[in-house]
Amino acid sequence: MSRQSVRRGSWETGFAAVAAALLALTACGGSSGTPGGTKTYTIAFISQGTSNSWAAQLDAVASKAAKADGVKLVYFNGQGDATKQLPEIDTAIAQKPDAIVLVPLGGAADTGPVERAMSQGIKVVLCDSTITSQNYTSLVTPHAETAAVPLAQWLADKMNHQGNLLYIGGLPGNTTTITYDQGFNSVMQKYPSIHIINAGNANYSISTAKQLAATAIASGKTFTGAWGVGGEAVTGLMQALIDAKVNPAPPIGGAAATNGILRLAIQNKMEVASLQFPPTSSQVCIDTAYKAAKGETVPKSINISDLPQYGPILPPLDKYYKPQFSDDMYVGTDSVLTVDELKALNLVK
Amino acid sequence: MKPLDRTEARSQLSTFAAPPNQGGREPRNVSGSSSPRNPVRTAGVVRLAYESVASTLLRLPPTVRGYGLPIGTSLLVAAVVAVVEPGFYRPANLHVVMQQYAVLGLVTLGQVLVLLVSGIDLSVGAVMNAALITIALMNHYNENLLLVSLVLCILIGAGVGVTNGLLVSLRDVPPFAATLGMTACVQGAILVYTKGIPAGNIPTALRPIALDGIGIVPYSLLICLAIGLVVIVFLSRGSYGRTIYAVGRSAEVARRVGISTTAVRVSAYTLCGVFAALAGIILSAYVGYVDPAIGGTYNLQSIAAAVVGGVSFIGGEGKPAGALIGALFLLTVLNVTTLSSLNPFTQLIVQGVVMLVAVSLFHLIKRGSFA
Repeated sequence: MSRQSVRRGSWETGFAAVAAALLALTACGGSSGTPGGTKTYTIAFISQGTSNSWAAQLDAVASKAAKADGVKLVYFNGQGDATKQLPEIDTAIAQKPDAIVLVPLGGAADTGPVERAMSQGIKVVLCDSTITSQNYTSLVTPHAETAAVPLAQWLADKMNHQGNLLYIGGLPGNTTTITYDQGFNSVMQKYPSIHIINAGNANYSISTAKQLAATAIASGKTFTGAWGVGGEAVTGLMQALIDAKVNPAPPIGGAAATNGILRLAIQNKMEVASLQFPPTSSQVCIDTAYKAAKGETVPKSINISDLPQYGPILPPLDKYYKPQFSDDMYVGTDSVLTVDELKALNLVK
Repeated sequence: MKPLDRTEARSQLSTFAAPPNQGGREPRNVSGSSSPRNPVRTAGVVRLAYESVASTLLRLPPTVRGYGLPIGTSLLVAAVVAVVEPGFYRPANLHVVMQQYAVLGLVTLGQVLVLLVSGIDLSVGAVMNAALITIALMNHYNENLLLVSLVLCILIGAGVGVTNGLLVSLRDVPPFAATLGMTACVQGAILVYTKGIPAGNIPTALRPIALDGIGIVPYSLLICLAIGLVVIVFLSRGSYGRTIYAVGRSAEVARRVGISTTAVRVSAYTLCGVFAALAGIILSAYVGYVDPAIGGTYNLQSIAAAVVGGVSFIGGEGKPAGALIGALFLLTVLNVTTLSSLNPFTQLIVQGVVMLVAVSLFHLIKRGSFA
């Protein structure tokens, strides 16, 4: 045996020892007892991950909720990508937690792992999006009727039910996108004189939305209204209209209001209807998972649109805008996180 | 596939024109028109058409193949666009195309340099993100530091490029792995520093670079074309260009004749990083809003543009001018499909088909012009 292979062998031995130690620790994972005898539940939080400010705020709220409930929260990073999230789900299942809170990035792709977890007796709470099966413990999500419909109706009315509507889509296959599209389409199909000009999917990217919207605006078509799926699409749309000096800008509808959307709308006198839809659903998700882990009965479906921090934001927008916070703060997040917590997230100017 | 000479082309043409009768049920139609019920015959006809184009192109003199065909193809594309989507030629739309082209053109130029030395750079998107975050953060703390932040962006791009180059040259890390790893490092550093939520805004003083210009030509395009011209001249006339191509064709031979392959590779990756940083600055000025994933699609777009423009994956083959035409072609396809208001899913199919046809066509042209 050469010296190199001996050295490699010692590395392998060391690695095996560390792996064995980790496995031993893992075996002790899951629920654990405390000296007082109270059981500490373990919840695996499989997040959208480090992809955008929405996810960062969602994670911060989840962490705070877990602390409040006294549960051990194990974080798994989906990295904003359905294919990267899949192995994270399998790793989480292997840890045998008492419950899983999953923010699904791929409705179809996540179905198999969720069903595997359920078959092993792990409670699964789906947060914000769903999967293509009913085999889960609870679904915490907004409903199309209460989320997108009031905004779409406001937009259709503003357009006098006619003209060209510039549409920027979300992320294909993402169930939140599908939900918002359902609400939007259910309104727009009532008005055949509204012609929807589909500029493409922005995949929740401000930059892509700006480029798509700029191209559509430059085509010379006159738009009497615009719609964006997600705060990023709405922001990109607004920025494109501002840069193209479209005056007056058409009314814009879309989901998930950020402080930045409000700032742009107020500064540029734009009419925008958005949804107060802060990434605070993770609080409800963690609480639900905790109850399920304890053996309590939880609802199969929880409509977060009914909670007080959710609801349509219609002009005038001044009362919702908070200049002390940064553009990235989703309107309503400050109802759950304190100023110090927001400061730690770079959300205070 | 090796190039066909005229005899081979004729031979293959005759093979497809008169297929052997294998089962006694020879289709009636032997003139080339296909039956939808016979996929083998349909494939044969497609192949026949492909080889016909190939043999026709190969009959042209090298000068015509070298310069006439790219220009001719561009004119053909321009004519097709005029028929399919005349709105493309509206000054407002051309202005938008030029704004977006400046970004893709710059990233593609950097990618070409790396591809020419048998590399690939998957960290250009991360460098663009880092540029935006740097500008926004420095503006957040002090609005008078715009120039410093721009210099810092360039230094970050150069630093990432040097690291990539050294990893590939000195540590023999495959370029794919080195630059992908660097992407993770840069993105990780951004997340650690910003906690996933970047503060600040894009300074208004930066925005005229992308939004203003001379007539409908934005300053950003002028910057891109000026840099493109320098790259074209250096690669075609200077000794630096010769060393780039030499290292890409055979690093071993280049080393034997006294070329420092490490220096050449590191310089290519460094320039790629610098160009990506410049593109990030221009894109930040164009978008005007802090989007931490601003460089998301540019890794693959820049590679696609270079390949469409005739740059080889194996190194040492291709020209920056071709890649710039490839970038223009790619952006034109994206723009026209957006203008067409097709369903986004259909848009993807159209973009994919057009890209495949373009790569095939440019491959044919390359046999004559870039070999």
